[in-house]
Amino acid sequence: MSYTIVYYDGSSSKMHKALLQISASRWEITPVEDAGVSKKIYWNTAVVKKTNVHTEKFVSFSYGETFPFQRIESTDAALIKYINSTKNSDIDTFEVLLHTNKKSSFAYLLTALLGIAVGMYFYVIPAVTDSFISNLNNKSVEGFGNFVFKVLATDLEMDAEKTKKLQNFVNAIQIESTFPLKVYVAKNEDVNAFALSGGKIVVYTALLEKIKNESQLLALISHEISHIENRHVLKNVTRNLSGAIFISVLFGDISGINAVLAENAHLFSQLSFTRSLEKEADIYGLKIMKDNQVDLYGMSELFAISKKETTFSLPIYLSNHPMLEERIEYTKKIAKKQNIIPENILLKEKWDALKTTFTNIEITDE
Amino acid sequence: MEIITENHTEEKRFKYFGSGLEFAIIYFKNILLTIITLGLYYPWAKVELLKYHYQSIELDNSRFSFHATGKEVFKGFIKIYAIVIALYAFFICASQTQDLTLITTATILLYLFLLLIIPFAIHGAVRYRASRSSWKGIQFKYLGDRKELFLLYLKGIFFTIITFGIYGAWLQVDIRKYVFGNLYFGDLSFRFKGSGGTLFWITVKFILLIYITLGIYGFWYYKNIIKFYVDHLEVSQNGKPVNFKCNIKTADIVELLVINFFLLVFTLGLATPWVTVRIFQVILRFIVIEEGLDTQSIQQVSYDAYDDATGDDFMDFLDFDLL
Repeated sequence: MSYTIVYYDGSSSKMHKALLQISASRWEITPVEDAGVSKKIYWNTAVVKKTNVHTEKFVSFSYGETFPFQRIESTDAALIKYINSTKNSDIDTFEVLLHTNKKSSFAYLLTALLGIAVGMYFYVIPAVTDSFISNLNNKSVEGFGNFVFKVLATDLEMDAEKTKKLQNFVNAIQIESTFPLKVYVAKNEDVNAFALSGGKIVVYTALLEKIKNESQLLALISHEISHIENRHVLKNVTRNLSGAIFISVLFGDISGINAVLAENAHLFSQLSFTRSLEKEADIYGLKIMKDNQVDLYGMSELFAISKKETTFSLPIYLSNHPMLEERIEYTKKIAKKQNIIPENILLKEKWDALKTTFTNIEITDE
Repeated sequence: MEIITENHTEEKRFKYFGSGLEFAIIYFKNILLTIITLGLYYPWAKVELLKYHYQSIELDNSRFSFHATGKEVFKGFIKIYAIVIALYAFFICASQTQDLTLITTATILLYLFLLLIIPFAIHGAVRYRASRSSWKGIQFKYLGDRKELFLLYLKGIFFTIITFGIYGAWLQVDIRKYVFGNLYFGDLSFRFKGSGGTLFWITVKFILLIYITLGIYGFWYYKNIIKFYVDHLEVSQNGKPVNFKCNIKTADIVELLVINFFLLVFTLGLATPWVTVRIFQVILRFIVIEEGLDTQSIQQVSYDAYDDATGDDFMDFLDFDLL
């Protein structure tokens, strides 16, 4: 069987119409209606190179170990059929299959892509980042926390006396901490506190001075300790970053609008992750409180303070306000199980010492 | 003999034979493999997509051909990532010391590196792409000199800075002139005849009109840019120049972009392969090589066995595309 082809000899751009006959050992090229080239050209079958890409109704081949390379192009359906039926490897078989029934191939590819994307985003990335952070050595975790603290500290005005007395309170807590716990009280009007990876806790004066007793203070500190012990900051940052990178890789080449949609979806999923970390910190914090024999209601009272201070400037879906109510509910439920209200004399003593440093808000309020 | 030659000198048109569905299979297969391999497959993916487009472009009854291999591109890809990681590691280490002079030095070095690497990346990319491209069995070849291009770029950057960016148009055109001036296809040579002034006015008109027209002027701008790049291109055969011409109308651009926009938005991006195919189809349909080029008598000259794809990978990293 002979196929119609176009042949280029590699030395000029002259097009030679030709017929091709293929046998196991060689390709025989016979030029037609061509006064210039009349003799046959032979290619060694083993050395013929097919251009490795599927384009509809078109095949091309090159030949030659060294420059210049000869070339064949063809749109002959019989030749294309023949080439597709002679497969040299599994990859060829797969490629031919992929391009045979295009619509179903497309559907399969899309399903696989969607499945992998969803699986990566919801299972693989979280699992990998979480296990990476959990297995990270303590020194690196501390190093990261110190680095962040250095950056933040330039903007924070510390209250030395309160810092010292709060540190005394923290030192009196019965806990086996992986990291050395170091607290700082910063002068700030916001009702807030946060933990940094590796053992540092920053409490703002506005929040500290709203606290009424040692169990509320322990609730606050133990919640932050939970974030530290469970490496929540790092888990949050790495998951957020890797998720964002994955999304941008997936949608980056597509279009601006879709990328924005995807990034917003990512923000929502990140918010829910943050919420799950908060819950974990609350539960673990209650355990620390229980071990230290203080009133567990301190936790829900602390949230009540936060709730009172939360302003509604944020849109509702970004605000943690509804979440606070939920947190008050479940921490109360746990506190109810505590039968006798215990007292920790040591912590109370340290709390009383700290309280003396407060600028008396009650009086100025009245 | 003369009569036969003249038979092949008529006006030549480009045609694009790609199909959306066919390309979609290649496109999504490659995205899938890239994700599964955590990005390592990217070089092979890039090569296959380029091969597809090359082999779908027809001129004078013959298709273009791209001979790059994933392996070559992969080698460059690894090099670029090693360099980038080293740079960022250096930058992060410097910023951790809290030493302001060191941080400033590191920042300046980082930006300087990214700025000065560009001409080398362009050189490497053009040379690699050219050496791997052919048509009718004839090879493209880039013979530019790395140092010359670097000095040209340095001069351009200097003037761009002291003119607050105005000279940027001339810089772009100078580089394009240099690149095309050193590009060969067998015994054919190229020349880019555009001037920085023309590009500058196209940009000025864009800035002045884009806001007033609420963005609608963008269509005219795209037309002007495409025509600027194509209409000023010239190919010479035996010392006889022949012009490239693009006859695209603003209406064609409007149709192309508006439909593409809706395709992308309503399919959440899944129509990307169809959109790509449409861009090639429409743009190439309007590009012609004017009468005078004898496509049957181009002679092969020599082959540039340049297999270093680092520059090409770097252009990709910087998100620049060669046109």
